[in-house]
Amino acid sequence: MNGGMDKRLLVHANWMLLIFTALLFTTGIVNLYSASGERLEEGIRVAPFFQKQLLWGALGLCGLILCTLFDYRHLKPLALPFFALTLLLLALVPLIGVRVYGAQRWLSLGFFNLQPSELAKLSTLLMTAAVLSRYNDPLDWTRLCLVLLISFLPCALIFIQPDLGTAILLLLLTGGIIIYHGVRLSVLKISLAALPVLPPLGWFFLLKEYQKKRILTFLDPSLDPMGAGYHITNSKIAIGSGEIWGKGFQEGSHHLLRFLPEKHTDFALAVFSEEWGLIGSVMLLLFFCNFLLCIINTAKEAKDRFGSILCAGIFFYFFWQILINIGMVVGVMPVVGIPLPFISYGGTATIVNFILLGLVLNVSMRRFMFKTN
Amino acid sequence: MRIEVAADGYQPPRRGLMLLQGLVIFLFLLFVLRFWYLQVLHGDFYSRVAHDTRTRSERVYATRGIILDTKGRLLAENRPAYYLTLIGEDCPDIPASLAQISQWADIPLEQVQMKYQQGRRGGKSFEPLVLAADLPFERIVQIEPQLFLWPGLKVETRQRRYYPQGELFAHVLGYVAEANDEELRQDDSLRLGDIVGKQGLEYVREKSLRGVKGSSGLEVDALGRPLAKHQDKPPLAGTNLTLTLDIDLQKAVSDALGEESGAVVVMEPETGKLRALVTHPSYDNNIFTARLTAKDWAALMEHPLHPLQNRAVQSVYPPGSVWKLVMAALLLEHGIDPKSSVLCTGQVHLGTHAFRCHKRGGHGMVNMRNSLIASCDVYYYEMAQKVGIDAIERFAKACGFGKKTDIDLPHERSGLVPGKEWKQARFHEPWQRGETLNVAIGQGFTLVTPVQMAVFVSALLNEGKLLKPSLLEEEPPEVKGELPLTAEHRAFILEAMRTTASEGTARRISRPDAEMGGKTGTAQTVRLGERRLRKEEMELLHRDHAWLTSWGRKDGKTYVVVVMAEHGGGGSATAGPITAKVYNALFGPAAPSAGPGRNSPPPAGARP
Repeated sequence: MNGGMDKRLLVHANWMLLIFTALLFTTGIVNLYSASGERLEEGIRVAPFFQKQLLWGALGLCGLILCTLFDYRHLKPLALPFFALTLLLLALVPLIGVRVYGAQRWLSLGFFNLQPSELAKLSTLLMTAAVLSRYNDPLDWTRLCLVLLISFLPCALIFIQPDLGTAILLLLLTGGIIIYHGVRLSVLKISLAALPVLPPLGWFFLLKEYQKKRILTFLDPSLDPMGAGYHITNSKIAIGSGEIWGKGFQEGSHHLLRFLPEKHTDFALAVFSEEWGLIGSVMLLLFFCNFLLCIINTAKEAKDRFGSILCAGIFFYFFWQILINIGMVVGVMPVVGIPLPFISYGGTATIVNFILLGLVLNVSMRRFMFKTN
Repeated sequence: MRIEVAADGYQPPRRGLMLLQGLVIFLFLLFVLRFWYLQVLHGDFYSRVAHDTRTRSERVYATRGIILDTKGRLLAENRPAYYLTLIGEDCPDIPASLAQISQWADIPLEQVQMKYQQGRRGGKSFEPLVLAADLPFERIVQIEPQLFLWPGLKVETRQRRYYPQGELFAHVLGYVAEANDEELRQDDSLRLGDIVGKQGLEYVREKSLRGVKGSSGLEVDALGRPLAKHQDKPPLAGTNLTLTLDIDLQKAVSDALGEESGAVVVMEPETGKLRALVTHPSYDNNIFTARLTAKDWAALMEHPLHPLQNRAVQSVYPPGSVWKLVMAALLLEHGIDPKSSVLCTGQVHLGTHAFRCHKRGGHGMVNMRNSLIASCDVYYYEMAQKVGIDAIERFAKACGFGKKTDIDLPHERSGLVPGKEWKQARFHEPWQRGETLNVAIGQGFTLVTPVQMAVFVSALLNEGKLLKPSLLEEEPPEVKGELPLTAEHRAFILEAMRTTASEGTARRISRPDAEMGGKTGTAQTVRLGERRLRKEEMELLHRDHAWLTSWGRKDGKTYVVVVMAEHGGGGSATAGPITAKVYNALFGPAAPSAGPGRNSPPPAGARP
């Protein structure tokens, strides 16, 4: 093997994943164009979201390419320092963070508001994968606790921001990776038995009133028609009124008239479904489904534990977000602030998404680099 | 730098990963199902909701035309009133909202609930239901800041009709109230809670007074909170009306009628314009536009004298001796010599029945002129037998009796001019000769309205034109018919009236400064015994109706005044003073009369 990019690297890259990513990102841009063609903030015309999203996409693409240039196994030793840095940033948020909508989630970098919780997803993922790749056997109690501790640290910091959605996502992500790696049967049995105890504990000790209310509202939207129920109701109205063929690009009346809250972020899918109808929605679901299947394919073909776990972690990262966001928008899950990858507007999230895909591509590209014995 | 390591024999858990892929496909199929459920199965429903929430058309009420008197003073105006409305579709918690309305408006909860149920039944979706009407401004100030907490509740400012003159013009103006089911069905432009004219000019002139509603597209969110207004279609205000009536005169006439129940019509004979139209007892028409309480309504309905009745056009009375004007005209047209006399002995026998004159001893020899002045019944008993009922019926109808005058007021009665055909149709009996005698003196079946009588007397003064009695200043005179009477004969009747006013039964109205003419009537309401009882001796409802039809001319101004006092007793004794007071209002107070005597034309320019 000589230096420079090997031709085989490109041949083995997961091109299907790249194609579906491109389709999703394009769909997202087109939809953002409609959801926020022009935007007024306190009377001042600001750059429409789709333009900024294009910029984030471009930055993300750079990050994606960068992430394919080196061998992913170099990340293993870098996981710990990166994780530590993220924890530091998360700890800084309550001290110097920017407050938006009553939640302190951003660090101002001047031109860009960094959301450390987005970084936390990436670093926790890497950290967990790095730790788990050392263990060849299913996890016993000590190791399980160690891995759980890794995710609990950022989780707690994110939870107090408060950002319930991201905290839950991190836990689910870690849970998925742990199950994927494997846990001793006895440990698994007891853990699963203990699982039902956690929600009530969380309910009484962790959740704030408004968070409890959201869950209650999900169970019965009429409890709070002005608040969270309002989101669910309007989202369903927007989607349902799209019917089979949709209202057409930029014709969605419901969101144009500002009924839809968070239409460019968490509820962007509702805008899309309203304008493109069942046809468009099913097409988008098809993109997402294939996108996820492509990631799993790479995990299947990885030649080492770290690569495989990394891909599986990235799969869960996308899987949970897509599942929760779509579930929320179509009214089958509670409203939690989790964006839909590539469709929702979001700077840090978009860049992180692309970087993670770069890592998947990295794994897929380098699956031939192992000497065959 | 590249790490070249030997594969450590690691094999990814392929089966587990394929299972995961299966799970993903399964979950996405569930999502597809969910989208199908929302967009296909319930697509129609959500489309409708989306549309409803996008723009909601709000009605903008047209200002109802105001009504002025002849001098431009307000008779009916619009004042702002505050209504608390509820849109059920916007309301997340209807029982709580109803309770809140009850508390705010100080109305018992059951009443609010009942009103809501009522409104729901016929209401369209997104129709604001008025649950509390006419709230005081101070209350609105308290409610307004809390309203945002109650989606679906709204304070609406609408216009409420107000009649500054109240009772004085109640019958002419009528009143407005919320449209009932029947009216809503008949008029597509009406919505629940809309105000329409129910009586009087408000009813007759509804179309032009109402104007045309405008609309304003209101952009609202799914909770009914307004976001922006657009697409305004401005309302078209209703037309204002200027009446021929005069507040001062109306007031004076009303005072003249005093406590009597009855009606007074003051008409200009040349144009048919009514200058006063009073009916007693009256009511305050403002109670219908505000919150009409059951108690108020019951009081009106159970009042023995029926205050809602406009006695000038909606009540019919036997005309009594006033009718002799019509009969005399008929006899003249029939070629009867006014100089030929009839011997009045106090009664006429027909078959076994005796028809009496009101004067027990009789009038002696009576010609036509004297028969009018002294109001001799026997003269007409005799003459009626010569001309017969058919001629009477034909002539009376030609004079405008037995049919509506087409005055701009609702539910006008046409009165009755009886005839052979009518008797047969009504009672299946042939006409009796004796009935002709009753008709001849304005009794029996004959029924007229005070307004008809005014139109007839006006025609005597205006070259025989039967005019539509007009209430609207801008309306040109409308000739409804021609009095079948030559100028010579009209002059004869007028002359007889003049004499009646100066020397006869109507002399109470004579005044030295004006040329006056009149004819009294005392119409029996029940068949009584031998002798006419005195007024005080009778039950109120058995007392006679007192009539006085008259005209007066001063300084080139001519007015016809018809007074009808229901159960007022004698025409001369009761209606006389009332009529005199009306002329005082028209011509100014009369100088002390020099007693009964021929009126001399007033000195030119003299005005007391």
